[in-house]
Amino acid sequence: MFAIQVNSLTKVYKSFFTSRNITAVKDLTLSVEQGKIFGLLGPNGAGKTTLIKVLLNICFPTSGRATIFDTDIFDYRIKKRIGYLPENHKYPNYLTGEQVLNYFGKLSGIDDKIKLNESISTNLELVGMAKWRKTKIKKYSKGMMQRLGLAQALISDPDLIFLDEPTDGVDPIGRKEIRDILQNLKAQGKTIFLNSHLLSEVEMITDKVAILNKGELIREGNVSDLTQKGMEYQIILDPNVSSDKLEELKKLSHHFKNISYKFNVNVANTDELNELIDKIRNSGVMIESFSAQKTSLEDLFINLIKESDKKE
Amino acid sequence: MAIIGDTFREAISRKVFIFFFGISTFVIILFFLFFSLSSVEGMIGMMNLSEDKNSIRSIIIGIQVFIIGPLYAGGLFLSIFSASSFIPNMLEKGTIDLLLSKPISRLTLLIGKFLGGTLIVLLNIAYLVFAIWLMISLKFDIWNLEFLTTIILITYIFMIFYILMMFIGILTQSSIFAMIISYLVFFIFSPILAYRENITTSLITSSVGKFIINVVYYIIPQTSELGGITLDIAAGVAVINWIPLITTTIWGIVMFASTVYIFQRKNF
Repeated sequence: MFAIQVNSLTKVYKSFFTSRNITAVKDLTLSVEQGKIFGLLGPNGAGKTTLIKVLLNICFPTSGRATIFDTDIFDYRIKKRIGYLPENHKYPNYLTGEQVLNYFGKLSGIDDKIKLNESISTNLELVGMAKWRKTKIKKYSKGMMQRLGLAQALISDPDLIFLDEPTDGVDPIGRKEIRDILQNLKAQGKTIFLNSHLLSEVEMITDKVAILNKGELIREGNVSDLTQKGMEYQIILDPNVSSDKLEELKKLSHHFKNISYKFNVNVANTDELNELIDKIRNSGVMIESFSAQKTSLEDLFINLIKESDKKE
Repeated sequence: MAIIGDTFREAISRKVFIFFFGISTFVIILFFLFFSLSSVEGMIGMMNLSEDKNSIRSIIIGIQVFIIGPLYAGGLFLSIFSASSFIPNMLEKGTIDLLLSKPISRLTLLIGKFLGGTLIVLLNIAYLVFAIWLMISLKFDIWNLEFLTTIILITYIFMIFYILMMFIGILTQSSIFAMIISYLVFFIFSPILAYRENITTSLITSSVGKFIINVVYYIIPQTSELGGITLDIAAGVAVINWIPLITTTIWGIVMFASTVYIFQRKNF
């Protein structure tokens, strides 16, 4: 089951005064599974925020189609199941934190006063803002505004949550707390669509990512698959392995030519990998650990963007 | 309802509406003090003893009409000033994104903002007009209910300007531009065009020129004439020409429909 399905979506911003049009999203097709955390990555101006805005009907697609929970995005009633934390969100500064949630809760369709008050208390508690609930938001710091924004996005207990730079301006402890909240929401079966520049964070919590550059999708997949370095593995032997044993190993395979107790091997397939492990084990050397080698999401991102830019 | 409530709260939070309320209270206090002066008290006592109730009624209505003129201009001036930023504020990046992400239609959003702004102006105008009416009526024991209908008329004319400000606000996202255009229509174009027949007779001789002036007259809200209708109603005089009210209403409906159309198709 998909929470979001986007099919050949294009968004062109037309200028009234010049003939120069800006293609913010170009022929984009992607899908987001329900109950997963999806990360949308891309440099500034890649079209990430535009895509969210199109999905929420804040701006309209030039062509293509998109659905949320199998409902066309043009049906505004589907937004009852959606929460949104925009980048640089602005709330009426004459309101207190509690009043902001009350206002947006009502706009989200919560008519029951008791239910709304309960939701306000729960969400303010969740984001660590309960003691500031009666304070006017003009006195809030950037981090506090982000926390309030997250509470606002969650006020109607939505099934799908769009978060645009949710940890912007939040201190490291706060960021960890937000990550925990998102993991907890995922455990409850919520779908989270995350836009963030903090790639290390995205890597930590997302199940799947898509990378956009200049409106085009350049890579999409599970984080673990994307960051896997082909068939490269790191093997760590017992650190007390004797040099004689290492010399013996070096003779067994060209893969072991320059090894120390910790080394990387590149294999063609899993059969070859198993064969190497058998050779080590049969030589009486203990293997302490063994792991598939990964590139960081940040390195992958930078390489992909560079490649994509070169192609043009 | 949430949008109406928020617009109301936004209005209260802004100093200009407090200023409007303060001015209204100040005017009410001035009237109270004026009627409490011993010389005025004495005059009122003499008038109340008089047998000629019709003459007294005419004097009272004259006073009320005298009050309603500056009230009409001043009330609308302050109302336009106060409400000009409602729509541009709503359209600010970060605010409109949040509002449009909620399960409400764009039409509902716009109507909520419109009703919220209108409600606060209605309350301010009603507070001032009703208090003055009550004071005069209690003092003279003459209850000219027509005076109260000016509350509706002034609010109605404000609604026309509010529609104009919404239209300009959505197109330009500028509260200053919306305010300037409204003031131009209210204080310059509409009064000049109200005397278009004199202008066309003395200054414009070509039939094309006369036609253009007439077209402009009918496509701009005729707020000067509506001011005249307001005074007639306050004075209890029969209104001879309702056409400005009809054409301005049609103008309001067309402008509101255009505003909704543009808003529903606008990318944010």
